[in-house]
Amino acid sequence: MIQKKICLLGGFAVGKTSLVRRFVTGMFSELYQTTIGVTIEKKTLLVGDQDVTLMIWDLYGKDDFQNMRESYLRGSSGYILVADGMRRSTLDTAEALHQLAQSTLGPVPFVLIVNKADQLKEWEIDEATLARLRHKGWLVFTGSAKTGDGVPELFVQLAQKLLEAA
Amino acid sequence: MAPPSSSDSSSDHLPEALLKTLGLAVLERVGTGDTFRLIGNPPLWWATTFKTSPESPIAVGPLAPFLQHFLDESETAWRDNHDRVVRSGPWSHRDLTSILHQFEATALTASHRALLLIERIDERFDSIQQLLQQARDQRLHHIDQVKTHERTQTSLTGSLAIATQERDDLLALLQHLDLAAIVTNQEGRVTFASPRCLAWIECPSTTVIGQPWEQSLPIDSADRKQLRQAWKAAVPQRSRHSIRFAGTTPRWIDYEIHEDPQSSERRIILLHDRTEVHHLRQQLNHQMQFHDLVGRSPAMLQIYQLVRDVARVDSTVLIEGETGTGKELIARAIHYSSPRKDRPFIAANCAGLTDSLLGSQLFGHKRGAFTGAIDDHHGLFESADGGTLFLDEIGDIPTSVQTSLLRVLQEKEITRLGETHPRKVNVRILAATHHNLNEDVIRGTFRADLLYRIRVARIHLPPLRDRRDDIPLLVQALLGQVCATTGKAITDLHPDGLRLLMTYAWPGNVRELKSAVEFAVISARTACLMPSDFPEELHRTRRDDLPPASQESQHAEPKAQLLQALQQAQGNRTEAAKILGISRATLYRRLLAHHIDVAE
Repeated sequence: MIQKKICLLGGFAVGKTSLVRRFVTGMFSELYQTTIGVTIEKKTLLVGDQDVTLMIWDLYGKDDFQNMRESYLRGSSGYILVADGMRRSTLDTAEALHQLAQSTLGPVPFVLIVNKADQLKEWEIDEATLARLRHKGWLVFTGSAKTGDGVPELFVQLAQKLLEAA
Repeated sequence: MAPPSSSDSSSDHLPEALLKTLGLAVLERVGTGDTFRLIGNPPLWWATTFKTSPESPIAVGPLAPFLQHFLDESETAWRDNHDRVVRSGPWSHRDLTSILHQFEATALTASHRALLLIERIDERFDSIQQLLQQARDQRLHHIDQVKTHERTQTSLTGSLAIATQERDDLLALLQHLDLAAIVTNQEGRVTFASPRCLAWIECPSTTVIGQPWEQSLPIDSADRKQLRQAWKAAVPQRSRHSIRFAGTTPRWIDYEIHEDPQSSERRIILLHDRTEVHHLRQQLNHQMQFHDLVGRSPAMLQIYQLVRDVARVDSTVLIEGETGTGKELIARAIHYSSPRKDRPFIAANCAGLTDSLLGSQLFGHKRGAFTGAIDDHHGLFESADGGTLFLDEIGDIPTSVQTSLLRVLQEKEITRLGETHPRKVNVRILAATHHNLNEDVIRGTFRADLLYRIRVARIHLPPLRDRRDDIPLLVQALLGQVCATTGKAITDLHPDGLRLLMTYAWPGNVRELKSAVEFAVISARTACLMPSDFPEELHRTRRDDLPPASQESQHAEPKAQLLQALQQAQGNRTEAAKILGISRATLYRRLLAHHIDVAE
């Protein structure tokens, strides 16, 4: 069985923990509880004909109060960037974390999910911005931890890329 | 001296007691791999979190994925840098009952021993998390607020842009329609004035907005009163009224007052510039009327132009024409078109007065100058100082007065009767006569030098029979005047009535026409003047029957007719003259000719 460490990176309150919880347990809580440090969850997927166990490192959100520890990234085979569609600034944070991850890990697979698609009317991130990122070669998802839309696809796609990269 | 044994005993147990109190699990690395052994008794949480045997070495990596990662991170500290202390930071791990706890690991080297300290930090973590949660909640709240403000701002900016666009469209529409607009609130204060309106009233918006609308408009009191009444009256008022805006460019403005569709107490005043129309109308009126002169026949238009020409200069003018042609009106028109218009205009009739009486009237006298001169008296020349003196019937003035008059014209000074020193006067002389003064000069009744002095410019008024085309206009104007005086509402003139007026010879000219119209209005029983309403003589005398009347006959009315008129007017000369359609001066002259006593 293949085991891969992946990290979820993003600004604070973008929904990293909610995405992991939705993916691992299928549950969602409206209550926002900030993450401190690291929580590691594990989930095994069937990708093609292979079982892949993802060690999902849910890292605390980056903001003025907590800075990302590069050491947490070490050993990651890939990562998921998470942005909040309702806050344009979280995409900037995701792009900054992408730079950090690239410099730490090198060119490993990654995907971007713009979360909170259940409140699309409130979004500050427009389709043109996402198109720009896709044009750069990014794999961009929109989804919602609340409804579950796009969540499994997100992890499966990354797992596939991890296998392709291996 | 050796320390007390009890102290030695407690020192041996101190580290263990300390670790127990701090809740730390201390593991010492065995060899160079991931194998560790617990030092001392582990804290109570150890047994509920990890399945380990106290006696056997422990493979730490498999205990928790994070610990595996941390061992890798700590390797350099243990191997190369013994002074370095590596802290893991908080990490979460579920205990054997799946309850999530928070831990922190520390790697260090002490006494060449590689140590791994694991601490459960639930309580400390909770307080940190609470603090951080608060900070982040506040940050999210702030972001929400900023977003709400931005949305509000965007919404307001959008609304403002729409409002601005609508305003611009409205202004463009007003501009296109050549309209200006004022909007007032329920208190009558201006809340909006279009740029065109501001340009017309020559005020910046800052001085207009918020002001009572009445004070904002440069209009006179009569217009203000009219506008105030219209503003207070029930709206909408679509009928237009005219007011005049004063300013460097005076304008004639039509206005409409409407109710604001969105608020019945607010008013929208639409203003239309009708200055050009007004000027055109004025020009048209000028074509038909000049001062109080009515007529648009070529002869009259030529006279209007002549009046304008002589009004510009200060020359003496001789106005000639038959009685009743309006010589005094011409004199007034010259005066009121001239730079002297703000000074007195005095008319004096020179006919029928003795030389001393006329001299006194014209030049004034000193007390005691003659019997009855009980006080100093200034004459008409002094009264007219700075203005115009109109000497009617100048052909009738006695020779002695002619001499004095000539002196005034030459020296521009008069001497009161009974005085010796002259007084300077600045008076323009306009003279009129029905005489042929050239013939009077030949007959020796009028001084030639005086004639040349007064006839610097001359205007000859045609008799009415020579400008019959003006009769309908004159009748219209006279009807208006007479109806206003008598209070009767005559709106029409029967075509036969007009035909009658057009065929009559009018020896008394316009004055006679006025009397005839006045007579007809008084006689009329309907709103339309019929031929039968006019005086009898108009029916008796046809134009063709009349002799050429280029010169007025001194005996136009028989003595009986003059006496009848006097009797009808109860001795009032002015009324009698009016009845006969002749001037008062002509009446006097004819009374003298018929040896009728002229004393009042």
